[in-house]
Amino acid sequence: MSTPTMSPQDSRHIAKDAQSTLQWRRFKFPGSLIRYAVWLSVFVFLAYSVEYLEIPLERLLGIFGRMGATLANRYYPPDMEYIMDADYMRYVVETIQMAYLGALFGLVATVPLGWFASYNMTPSRCFVYPVARLVTMSCRAVHEMIFAIIFVAILGYGMLPGVLALTFFCTGFAGKLFAEEIEAIDIGPVEAMRATGANLFQIMVFGVFPQVRVAFTGIAIYTWDVAFRAATVVGFFGAGGMGWYLKRNVLQIESERVAAILVSIIILVFISEMLSAWARNTVMKMK
Amino acid sequence: MKILDVKELHASYSASGPEILKGISFSIEDDDFFAIIGPSGAGKSTLIRCINRLVEPTSGVIVFDNRSVTTLSRKGLKLLRRDIGMIFQEFNLINRMSVMDNVLSGRLGYTGNLRTLFRSFRRDDIDHALQLLERVGLIDHVDKRADELSGGQRQRVGIARALMQNPKLLLVDEPTSALDPKISREVMGLIKQMATELKVPCLCNIHDVDLAKEFCNKIIGLQDGIKMFDGLTEDMDQGKLDEIYAMEVL
Amino acid sequence: MNNKATNTSPPRITSQVILDRRRTARMIMAVVYLVLLALVVWSVQVTVIEDTDWNRLGGFGKVWEAANRFIGLDMALFPNLIEPAIETLMIACLGTLLGVFLCIPAAWFGALNITPFKPVTYPLARMMMTLSRSIHEIVWALFFVSAVGLGALAGIFAIAVRSVGFIAKMSAEAIEDIDPGPVEAIRAVGGNDFQVVIYAILPQVLPQVLGVIIFEWEINIRRSAILGLVGAGGLGLVFFRQMNTFNFHGVMSVIVAILGLILIGEALSHWVRRALI
Repeated sequence: MSTPTMSPQDSRHIAKDAQSTLQWRRFKFPGSLIRYAVWLSVFVFLAYSVEYLEIPLERLLGIFGRMGATLANRYYPPDMEYIMDADYMRYVVETIQMAYLGALFGLVATVPLGWFASYNMTPSRCFVYPVARLVTMSCRAVHEMIFAIIFVAILGYGMLPGVLALTFFCTGFAGKLFAEEIEAIDIGPVEAMRATGANLFQIMVFGVFPQVRVAFTGIAIYTWDVAFRAATVVGFFGAGGMGWYLKRNVLQIESERVAAILVSIIILVFISEMLSAWARNTVMKMK
Repeated sequence: MKILDVKELHASYSASGPEILKGISFSIEDDDFFAIIGPSGAGKSTLIRCINRLVEPTSGVIVFDNRSVTTLSRKGLKLLRRDIGMIFQEFNLINRMSVMDNVLSGRLGYTGNLRTLFRSFRRDDIDHALQLLERVGLIDHVDKRADELSGGQRQRVGIARALMQNPKLLLVDEPTSALDPKISREVMGLIKQMATELKVPCLCNIHDVDLAKEFCNKIIGLQDGIKMFDGLTEDMDQGKLDEIYAMEVL
Repeated sequence: MNNKATNTSPPRITSQVILDRRRTARMIMAVVYLVLLALVVWSVQVTVIEDTDWNRLGGFGKVWEAANRFIGLDMALFPNLIEPAIETLMIACLGTLLGVFLCIPAAWFGALNITPFKPVTYPLARMMMTLSRSIHEIVWALFFVSAVGLGALAGIFAIAVRSVGFIAKMSAEAIEDIDPGPVEAIRAVGGNDFQVVIYAILPQVLPQVLGVIIFEWEINIRRSAILGLVGAGGLGLVFFRQMNTFNFHGVMSVIVAILGLILIGEALSHWVRRALI
């Protein structure tokens, strides 16, 4: 009959009782321990790396000062006259041409390769697909400079090996992106084309390509970007273009000229990036 | 005359997966407007897709126009698909292409690769496409892109594309479930009208029983891959409907 | 009124009109392609036909012979590759780590919603990002080799500086896209700016940023494998030596080792991604 009244003592009693059963700790037994162990081992690995690579930690702070000094004494002022030269301009144009050809050939190779390497549209899943995947993956994994060096060793100095190296590089770069785009398409129109009795080629032209056209243009612009960036340096290993100038001056320790060349590379890449950003925006608006 | 004859059709999406169709048999005369009704998941879409082999049946016999569908070669399959028009639930138009190109894509089975690449279709085909677009009421939208149209207009493009093939059979897969009721009725009316005019038999898979009763002369009721009803629309009554949709009620 | 509207509507479109229009469109495309083709021909003329010393190159047979020298592996070299491979991996790890530290200010300044003083810090951060991304790693390595001398340190710096741009750009974009709700909530309980960053912003962007870092780490393995070419240690140095001593099978062995390292990196990053995100 008597309604229980909640006195302050009671409530404290409950709170005290709860304390003994309800607990919260930041440290959870197996989970946290594993996490700490992983982080610790990563840290130990990094610390060991510093030791192993014999990095002079105590000199590290001084190094930044030295870097500034090097920049100021040896690289400054850049010898701008050296690059304001018709001969150098010719090399710049050649670099652009090399990047253009490399990106173009790479993209042309990408169209069938991306198609073959897309799981949903490939002509044959058990034969063509793995081969195409292997080709794109190995083009992607090998650095463009390695391609350049090997082609120079085979074909001799010149721009031909540069173009080939950039072609392989762009094939790997664009191939994977393009295959992923094809794998993301809406399968409905493809089914509709199949139902009209179209063959595989016609399905690609009508059902697939219109869907990936905008994305492909974006990929093409992006490919041009990386191709041009790489083209400025493949010459360092004898594959033509501005890189060759760079190499010569590095070997002759003409640091002010190197600085000037670097400045020109930065400016050119900057211009090319602005152009491609503009192009990309225009394409996206067209969508 | 029978245009399509299906016997003991079985289908499943994967070898180990559940069977979607468990022995379906029916046949279509060349003046039929056939409806397949049934709850979702009953296998209606699979059944329709087996007929032009967008889905491979596991066993059974399909005879279309005196051709055994299940044993066709690649070449034969293309010729078969050329003769069967299909209209889709989600329209399946190529969104970034013009209405004209979408309708013309119905002629791909008759067009060579080179012509396809340059989209250079024959004058006859373009004339035919214009006539069809006029009939479905889209003659003013010829140059618009497919994604600029409303749902009902898109489905009309889909109808024109299917009719471009001069089909001997029209497969219609849920033509109205992406549309609102008023437009649904219009679209069904258009399909019915065009089919009667061009004397094309239809196999139409439809969720809405009222629409099926209104437009179709024969009905198949499917439930969980089994045929529960097959007959004239007049013979379909509430009791049989309840039986077909029993699973959904539960 | 309705009748009048239909009467004045434009004449019906005919197949002739469509055919003509298509022909015109094809002509325009043909011109575009011709221009592209002319550019290709000109570029091929300059870069390939004129620039190549065809006599020295010899016929197809000689090129084939030159390429053939590369086919084969120098098995004896593999034990000597383990140490440089570990070095390469370490350079990639430390370079990425340093890059992540460098990218903290860059991402902070470069995100429009938290940048401290927009007119100055935002453009500054954007400039840093572009500078970092627009210069090739080889060029960065050359600079650091001349600044801090030959060795792993130059490679670490090169990789760090090269990866700042991408990580900072993606992180800044992630920060700009956060849900402002938690920020308000932390401000409401009286948190200061630092607490807002730790409790409201960081938890929201962490998964994305970690994904970007892992992605960049994978690329950095690929980069650090060649930095030895300009004197930054690791597999690249071995590659360079093999090339200079004309041990072409050894060159292929190094490439196989690089591919193996990249595969290991890919597997690791796949695993880490699954564990973290």
